[in-house]
Amino acid sequence: MGIDTVRVEKLRGRPSDGQAVKWLVEAGLLWLKTNQQIVNSLNVFPVPDGDTGTNMMLTMTSAWNEVRDSGEKHAGKMIAMVAKGALMGARGNSGVILSQLWRGFAHATQDSAIIDAEALVHGLKEARDTAYKGVVKPVEGTILTVAKDTASAAEAALAETRDPIEILARCVSAADASVNQTPELLPILKQAGVVDSGGKGLFFILEGMLRYIYGEPLDTPLAAVQPLSSLNFENVMNEVEDGQDYEVVVDFFPGQKFELQKFYGRLEEMGTSIQVGEGDGMYRMHIHVPLNKRYEPIDYIMSIGTITKIAMENLTAQMEEIDAKTKDSKLELAKVESNQIAVVVVSPGPGLSRIFASLGVAAIVSGGQTMNPSTQEILAAFENLPTDKIIVLPNNKNIILAANQAKEVTVKKVDVVPSKTVPQGLAAMLAHNPDGELASVSEKMTKALSEVTTGEITMATRSVEIDGVNVKEGEVITLLDGKLVASSKSIEEGVTGFLKKARAEEHELITLYYGEGISQSEANRIVDVVREAYPSQEIELQDGGQPHYQFIISVE
Amino acid sequence: MNLGIVTDSTCDLPQALVEQHELEVVPAILIIEGKEHADGIGISRKEFYQQLPDFKTHPTTAAPSIGEFATRYQKLLESGCDHVISIHAAGTLTSMVNIAQQAAKEFPNRVTVIDSLSLSLGLGFQVLAVAGSAEDGLEAALNAIESTRKRLHLFAALDTIEYVRRSGRVPNTIALLGSLLSIKPIVELANGEVKAIRAVRTTKQANARMLSFMRTSGSLERLAILHTGAEARAREFLNQIMNEMSQSLPRDILMVNVTTVIGTHVGPNGLGFAAVKSK
Repeated sequence: MGIDTVRVEKLRGRPSDGQAVKWLVEAGLLWLKTNQQIVNSLNVFPVPDGDTGTNMMLTMTSAWNEVRDSGEKHAGKMIAMVAKGALMGARGNSGVILSQLWRGFAHATQDSAIIDAEALVHGLKEARDTAYKGVVKPVEGTILTVAKDTASAAEAALAETRDPIEILARCVSAADASVNQTPELLPILKQAGVVDSGGKGLFFILEGMLRYIYGEPLDTPLAAVQPLSSLNFENVMNEVEDGQDYEVVVDFFPGQKFELQKFYGRLEEMGTSIQVGEGDGMYRMHIHVPLNKRYEPIDYIMSIGTITKIAMENLTAQMEEIDAKTKDSKLELAKVESNQIAVVVVSPGPGLSRIFASLGVAAIVSGGQTMNPSTQEILAAFENLPTDKIIVLPNNKNIILAANQAKEVTVKKVDVVPSKTVPQGLAAMLAHNPDGELASVSEKMTKALSEVTTGEITMATRSVEIDGVNVKEGEVITLLDGKLVASSKSIEEGVTGFLKKARAEEHELITLYYGEGISQSEANRIVDVVREAYPSQEIELQDGGQPHYQFIISVE
Repeated sequence: MNLGIVTDSTCDLPQALVEQHELEVVPAILIIEGKEHADGIGISRKEFYQQLPDFKTHPTTAAPSIGEFATRYQKLLESGCDHVISIHAAGTLTSMVNIAQQAAKEFPNRVTVIDSLSLSLGLGFQVLAVAGSAEDGLEAALNAIESTRKRLHLFAALDTIEYVRRSGRVPNTIALLGSLLSIKPIVELANGEVKAIRAVRTTKQANARMLSFMRTSGSLERLAILHTGAEARAREFLNQIMNEMSQSLPRDILMVNVTTVIGTHVGPNGLGFAAVKSK
């Protein structure tokens, strides 16, 4: 490894035209992809959501797909395509902001046939401005701050050099420093002991570009051992690659000669989606491999350490099961007419989709925790509806921006009613009137969001102390309107604890939507406990079918 | 001109007003577990709403016979009335108007049958408008109805969707609403059509919505608080509006436990209001 100076000099001599830009985009994507699990693990709340790394990687993938076959020589035109791809593929809040950075960069460089120092700096500045404008209340200590510090560093560098590679190098250092500063600006990051994930993702993209120029590898993560608790294999399901049919997970204690880089090197010869975690000296390795190589990782690890546990799963079968499940649920969606208002919802579970359908929604986008739909997916849900008047209910705080972005790229009249939870979305849906006037209907629906208190019961994905709540990995945690309020030993305790905090005794109705991770009989048992504790309240139990969250609860 | 007035028991006018305006009220028929009851006889409204959720078979309703109407027309015409106005519950929801028209054929040009396009006090207030202008003749009475109708609002917050769904008298858009989730629809009856305005999930939310409808109505000439066996809820609502908008309320506010003939299709613990805006 190390910088290939001959290569750098060669590249320095070449104009940064459209093709050069294209390879830089790919490099940024590859390096982000290699490090996406590191970004994913930078989650403030110990809940299974906010896969920032995955969201940004998918956003960049969409950008790359837009240009991968293009022979465009004009840099500005190439960047415009990148921006378009990023826009359509934007997922999650960080993905949306990333797409806005590209949009700003593209706007500034639209007439630049090549990217010289001035164009680069101008582009980074406009990228920053566009991203800040795209957020209603910009928060410092996030990807926005990193974009700002990067642009400032570029501007400062321009006073000293006209070499775009040198400027990029300074940007990467500035981004790195900025990321490390984020906990000082955003107290919640400090509490959780992490840096900002979106900022870190942006850093990896910039660093990937620089590593490409330097001739450094883009597919080997640097010392990529994560804490065991932050390993989350479920996201990996989204990206099963062709031919990689088996998932193998091995727990082991490494022997004395264990070398991480070598270990990675060998695994990369066998398969993809490699993740390695460590906790108390024990390692956990995760890999996707083809059928005929499924025992290779096991044999190899046996030669370098002591295996304690092996899990192997046929991914193709698992994917088919997921497909079958989604196909199973035939939904009767509302048929809207051309002059009516259609509501599009994002729903995290088949049961919740059925309930939304029964309340008259016209289209459903699957998604929620850990599976934020892209701008394109939201757009596709309503582009073919026979009406121009659309209301979108994102039902998740991390999907609101993508929904807003869908609104901006369509010619239809779209209002996003910013529901952050499923119960809020259901409350809004009840206020819907398909024959009303768009502005007044969306205003009424927005008002309805505050009519419910939402509880979410899930398992902590790592140990952390936040807002005075001490959570240990694997414990049940309770969120009230998105805020962590309690941790407990059992789901039942989590539910009753939430109801107490939500002052359920002062309300009329408690609705519990149980998730796929809990059986109906267990859900019934817990509801019986709730009935006994709240004899004056109406209690309703519904099959929500959402992943990760054992219960979503509304109190109203 | 001496104008006689016939209506039916779905008008929900209190006995004192019926007597004061010498109204002829044809009782609608309620069938409880196979037995016919003329509206208001045999079972009190209070008893009915208490028992409604527990009847083995759901009570149904029937319109009175042609003879019931004809008898009253004859009585009024024989006792010195020049003409009879017969005004009834919305033809879209009951067959009352239809049957009255059949009966009126026996008295050519002497009985005018009117579809109120409304129910309960929405019909009752039109009847009072006729009574108030009856001395000025048929045309004045018809104008009074028209004027009232233009200013009339009838809203109801149902406690459950179950009863309307069973009644088969509302459009599918309402009946299908929330077939999985238990919800409380808020409906408006306008021009004979039941429209779902929105739905809520708790009575508190329902009351808040009703209050906001009331707020937008401005000054009122007439007002009735309607409920189906939910007196406490209706009183609370009355207190709320008295506190908040006493300036725009009429002097007399009726509080009505709605007739069982309507209530059987609406279900218990519903709250509503009928209001006529000031001119």
